[in-house]
Amino acid sequence: MIVNPRTLAATEMAFRDQRRRPLLLLLLVIVPAYTITYSIAITLATPRRIGLPGDQVVLTTMKELHGAVMAGNAIAFVAALCGVFVMQAALAGDRRLVIAGFRPGETVIARLIVLAAATILVVAVSMAVTAASFTPAAWSRFLAAALLIGLIYAALGALAGALLDKLAATYVMLFLALTDLGIVQNPMFGSGTPRWWAALLPGYGPGRTIVDGAFSPVFHAWSALAIGLGWAAALTVAVSWVLRRAVGTRA
Amino acid sequence: MSAALAPSFVREHLRTRLTLVLLVAIPVFFVLIFASVLGQFSSALGGSLASRAATAISAGWAAAFLSGALAFFQLVSSRGADRRLALAGLGAGRVALARIAAALSLAVVVSAVAYLTLWLRAGVAHPLHAALAILAFAAIYIGIGALIGVFVSGALEGSLLVVLVFSVDVFSGPAMTSGGGGLLASLTPTRKAADLLIAAGAGRGSPASDWVAVTAVAVGAVGVALAAFWFSARSRA
Repeated sequence: MIVNPRTLAATEMAFRDQRRRPLLLLLLVIVPAYTITYSIAITLATPRRIGLPGDQVVLTTMKELHGAVMAGNAIAFVAALCGVFVMQAALAGDRRLVIAGFRPGETVIARLIVLAAATILVVAVSMAVTAASFTPAAWSRFLAAALLIGLIYAALGALAGALLDKLAATYVMLFLALTDLGIVQNPMFGSGTPRWWAALLPGYGPGRTIVDGAFSPVFHAWSALAIGLGWAAALTVAVSWVLRRAVGTRA
Repeated sequence: MSAALAPSFVREHLRTRLTLVLLVAIPVFFVLIFASVLGQFSSALGGSLASRAATAISAGWAAAFLSGALAFFQLVSSRGADRRLALAGLGAGRVALARIAAALSLAVVVSAVAYLTLWLRAGVAHPLHAALAILAFAAIYIGIGALIGVFVSGALEGSLLVVLVFSVDVFSGPAMTSGGGGLLASLTPTRKAADLLIAAGAGRGSPASDWVAVTAVAVGAVGVALAAFWFSARSRA
């Protein structure tokens, strides 16, 4: 991947476009900050036994659990919406750049950098506010899993943004994030361990890794992490291909 | 003229078949999936929702979120077309009436699907009460979505604001809080609609004051949405 002056120019223009939207920056901070802080604050410290990767069982509380999982939920929601609308903006504007002489790959890199930056901002805010109410057993693994959730859901949102209209993409991504990380992977519900079919959903790998990082001092979630990295890699390739094809072939 | 225009506005939103499929499928899945965990979630947050009441509130939330997002995108995406229609002789008032009729029609569809799913999943002790409460959730969020659309034109910012209002509403509502939930809870828009729906789901009636409050908020929200559509369609020249 060669970063040439036109790629840098496209990236700078894409960031300038975002800087003109102060409300967006504000909301990328406020939405995760509010949902994480408030939801943890109102949760009771009811005892709860959950299963961790590596067949471990740990006794914790609902409040601690909410602290462990709420950041992932908020990151998935916001990153997915960023993915939808960064992709929509790309489809609307980048075809003109290609007609003007840019290569599709140059505009694609610029959009992916903007999407990654928005995701990193949301993850940073989410981790900062989580730190005020919850301390995971291993910050490095907790942070890595949160970033993986953000990247996977940003990519899923981008795919939805390319394939569906705005309203349908918004509905699909919010429903998917809520169902996947909010319920199916969430150890606050059911037996405290996701059912076997939860592994089919994109949130399984990072969802299990974040719970492991939250409660286990020793890392056991190798297979879950591998599944999450596989999803992230496959989705990044898919988004790059879809975006490149979309801006390059339809003028 | 507004009556003739409203079906066209509905068709405009449903020209993508998938949107229609989602407007039907999401309330069904929302009620079915969330009903199984909302009782547990409520008790974790200090609420005291019985299982049937939890199922009922999930129908209201599904109708609320879908209608709010729909109203926001309807206002933002139609602004240019509505101004041209108003300038072409229809007038901003008639365009706004047609828009609100279209939004309410779609909200009725979403609410009916959510209600039917609720009825089939758990049964409804007070069918009319539950149906009206779910419709009130949808009407209130039409007002919220349209109001956001007046001030925010960016699709990402607007959808994040709808999510933020919805989150404040859900976490502060009577289903998820104990002891009233404080000042914020008393100011949330669907507070009384949630009280009605929880009571209907649990097989209890509701006091007349709750009905008056819900009617006032729902009618007020539709009025706000009408004003928002009118403001959006009027000429800036």
